[in-house]
Amino acid sequence: MISLNAYLIVGVALFAIGTYTVIAQRSAVMVLMGVELILNAVGLNIIAFWRFVRPDDYSAQIFLIIVVTIGAVEMAIGLGIMMLLYRQRQSVQTDDFTELNG
Amino acid sequence: MPLQEILQSIAFGLLAFIAIAGAIGMTTTMSMFRSGIFLMASFIGVAGLFILLAADLMGLLQVMMYIGGMLVMILFMVLFMMDPGGAMMAAMPDMLSPIERLFSAGLQQDGTNAHVPAQSGMHASEKNMDMGGTHAGMKMDDMSKDMSMDSMDMSMVTPVRTIAVWIASLIAVGLVILIVSRSNWHVVGLRPDPDSARAVGTLLLGKYMAGFEGAGFLILLGIFGAVFMAHARSGKSTPIEGGRTASVKALAAVGSEEIDIDMPPSTRQTMTGTDSPPSAAHAHEPNGSAS
Repeated sequence: MISLNAYLIVGVALFAIGTYTVIAQRSAVMVLMGVELILNAVGLNIIAFWRFVRPDDYSAQIFLIIVVTIGAVEMAIGLGIMMLLYRQRQSVQTDDFTELNG
Repeated sequence: MPLQEILQSIAFGLLAFIAIAGAIGMTTTMSMFRSGIFLMASFIGVAGLFILLAADLMGLLQVMMYIGGMLVMILFMVLFMMDPGGAMMAAMPDMLSPIERLFSAGLQQDGTNAHVPAQSGMHASEKNMDMGGTHAGMKMDDMSKDMSMDSMDMSMVTPVRTIAVWIASLIAVGLVILIVSRSNWHVVGLRPDPDSARAVGTLLLGKYMAGFEGAGFLILLGIFGAVFMAHARSGKSTPIEGGRTASVKALAAVGSEEIDIDMPPSTRQTMTGTDSPPSAAHAHEPNGSAS
């Protein structure tokens, strides 16, 4: 039986890589990919805790469904905003949008 | 050690490796298209871990939502990027760290000719506009010769790369220490019901009905909002958009006609046709073919 800590450490690795992506990447699409990776780490932790601590209560899976749904909506709206920005500036690099004080 | 546990350990190791290596590859490769594919590998690894954790419905959801839905959106957006194939960065391997060189291996390089045909699925006009529109794109042709700070600025990752590595590893080490130091989780030896989908469905439409409906309403509003935002208004331009165009025009020395509000018809049709209802796409089509 794999221990709970092993799953949690995989989740930590995914979370750290996602954080690095969000900070270091330059294009907005890559930043969104990093956010998705962080959400994945969260989901992995939720399911690992469900399996090992409360396997009889399926609320954790409902919670993961909500998380995935919100991730999908965030991705759709983020890409919509990106397309709007692309139409204004022909670029979706985050460095081109440093003066958003409107 | 019984055979089942050995198999479980092997499966865990393999899936965790796929998840983590996919994530590392996603963030270190120079090609954005390749990062999308690496991200898919990472999602598949996490879905396998879900199945290993006896949450098979969640694994299925992961595959269908992330890989079927979001990744298609991501790969579509990658086509709007400048240099999505990473050919520019692959031409100067001195600036990459070893792991970035590993995951960017075999990328088509942008050495002699600026227009590598296989590096993206963009139209030629769109690509020209992309290169002329951003003032950074002007330096693209002569950037394989000199490696000044300007060409450094063109890289896919920001110069804060090293700081980001430190922050991320600090977070990772801190969380691992927290996990290991508090290892007395109340783990029960219970095995979950193999028919978990039925229980989840009952819960979803019983106890958590409001949350389920709320999530459905949220996704409806979100998708409508995204479609309305990305929908191109015909010819009209807001004052902000005009100001932006003027400032970009002042900055850009070449190709200033192409970044006007009147984009080439092919570009406009590409933008509207992909994200708006089919009727709008058809409405634009006679314009594009006539002019």
